[in-house]
Amino acid sequence: MSEMLPVIMAFVAALISIVATWLAVQERDMLIATLFSALQSTCYALIYYLLMAPDIVLVYLPVSVGILPLITIILIKKTERYEE
Amino acid sequence: MRLSDIAIGVSMAMLALLLSYLIVYGGLGPIATLNLRPLAVSFLNYTYNPWKIVYSAMSPEAVTAIVWDFRGLDTYFETSVLFIAIVGLIALFRGANVVQGVSSKGLSIIVKTSTKLVAPLILVAGASLAFHGHLSPGGGFQGGSFMTVAMTLLAIAFSIEFFQQKKLTLNRLLAIRCIGLLAIVVVSVYLLVKAVLLGGYAYIFQNMPRINSQYSMPSWFLDRPLAGILFFFNLSESIAVIGGLTLGVVLLLLREEELKAIIGGGEHE
Repeated sequence: MSEMLPVIMAFVAALISIVATWLAVQERDMLIATLFSALQSTCYALIYYLLMAPDIVLVYLPVSVGILPLITIILIKKTERYEE
Repeated sequence: MRLSDIAIGVSMAMLALLLSYLIVYGGLGPIATLNLRPLAVSFLNYTYNPWKIVYSAMSPEAVTAIVWDFRGLDTYFETSVLFIAIVGLIALFRGANVVQGVSSKGLSIIVKTSTKLVAPLILVAGASLAFHGHLSPGGGFQGGSFMTVAMTLLAIAFSIEFFQQKKLTLNRLLAIRCIGLLAIVVVSVYLLVKAVLLGGYAYIFQNMPRINSQYSMPSWFLDRPLAGILFFFNLSESIAVIGGLTLGVVLLLLREEELKAIIGGGEHE
């Protein structure tokens, strides 16, 4: 059981990321969609960690949870928040 | 429900299935198989190998050894791709500058105080990732992007004029970026220049002594492994990344009304 635990966790994280991606695609409010996209990135970071790639986790976390949502939020602020 | 929604859902489900299949049968992750591929064996053998120093990177961290030593030129060109992207951004925003005294208040005092507490911690964590990149997971780009997150937190909580008041102007950020890149170039040709001056042979991106070349970067600092160029590359890469990405974020954060006056170029109907 213990050696199956990382696999189960990766599977759960992948499922959560599907839901988050789905919600990000469906959402009309771009700001909330950005947050869903960050949630999906967090799930992917967990999967990278479970696949024993700590270097990728360390570069993926600041870029996908910090800088990418930030740039998207700046873009939303300069354009429109609600999708028509 | 449209057809495209179904396609997106099905493709995402396929991703999850593929991932779990890879983990269970592909021999990835914690259930990695015991028989490694020959390439992995050779990397593991030569990453830190004091007995065959002519093939070794003398770094306990295999990923950094591969990234900056075994395939150093690749990483150099990756860095130049990022630099060219920043150059494009600067060319678009040429002449732009942070106008003083418009609204230098920033966010509320609660946000400012919590940012004051958190930002130094993120900076120190990023610096440790960059400076320890040859000993533990991490490296120049990772540490640099961590520090960039702290800088953008400061830029948003204290407003971009805060940087200006702390003498961190756009030109200074660009200068930091260029210093980092120049340091990468200097480190990569240092041994070559030394060999040309003193006689003998050396290679570009040379780290430890190689066949035909006795020149070497320092592999130990006091009692710690320094891994020669890896430490210097991580250091200069983190400086280049923090300068470049912070410059990009500050340029994107500039107010639109001021930008239109500079970039505008008239109305195109």
